[in-house]
Amino acid sequence: MTPDRHGSAVIELPNDLDVVVTREFDAPIELVFDVLTKPEHVSKWFAPRGCEMKECSIDLRVGGNYHQVFVTDGGTECSFRGTYLEVEPPTRTVETWVFGGRPHLDAVETVELHEAHGVTTMTTTLTFRDKASRDEDIQGGFDGVQTSFDQVEDLLSSLLDPRGTVSG
Amino acid sequence: MPISEYVGAVARSPTTSDVFNAVAEADRREILDALIAGEKAVGAIVTDLSMSQPQVSKHLRVLSEVGLVRCRAEGRRRLYRLEPARLRPLHEWLAKYERAWNDRLDRMDDYLAGLQRGERQ
Repeated sequence: MTPDRHGSAVIELPNDLDVVVTREFDAPIELVFDVLTKPEHVSKWFAPRGCEMKECSIDLRVGGNYHQVFVTDGGTECSFRGTYLEVEPPTRTVETWVFGGRPHLDAVETVELHEAHGVTTMTTTLTFRDKASRDEDIQGGFDGVQTSFDQVEDLLSSLLDPRGTVSG
Repeated sequence: MPISEYVGAVARSPTTSDVFNAVAEADRREILDALIAGEKAVGAIVTDLSMSQPQVSKHLRVLSEVGLVRCRAEGRRRLYRLEPARLRPLHEWLAKYERAWNDRLDRMDDYLAGLQRGERQ
């Protein structure tokens, strides 16, 4: 019996543009890669509880697109799409990421897998777009309520900088 | 891909948006950083960050309005200090974000475990 790893993801904000999530799985690297990249698997775990998977297509090759849509119990559709930039089974994929409701929140996601002693470590790095283009966006049509996700990332990383001593 | 649901899950309540907006500006974060070390006069912040005095004053006004800094007078000087407790909404936001990530990865974990049990049988 392996220990329960629930809730063990480590989330770091190493700089203004990146979010890094690390999580271990008790499974071989090939299986973890398949579960992350094959529609028949992704459709089984991708949608949150109470949500229904409506579309799950993955064209796993450089230049190929993926598109995931799930519907919440309230009827709201959540759509995620992007294009693969790098595909290196079973260790690495790099893809663009766009959330349908907020196209300004695009990011590049890098997923890296590493196996040691039967444990596969997944490191997901989300890199939000550069500040220049972000600032341009903000000037173009800034709405306080929609203060972009990447801005919040930005500020959190600044506030949680290890050299700081800010605490709640 | 795994970024997905938390964008929805971490929608912020309107009551905290002011603090978020106040710190969404890079210069204002620099001012907060400058105050981490302790209370400072406007002039000291201006020197530390090489911003103009009107800029710094404008940002301090925004930060004061949402309670992130507090001002007191000492003679003719106005001293500003950080109010770290007001950053709580940001910490709470991060906690929600972490929960959303963990929920997703826990679902994947359970699915992987199920697959492996199935394969062994």
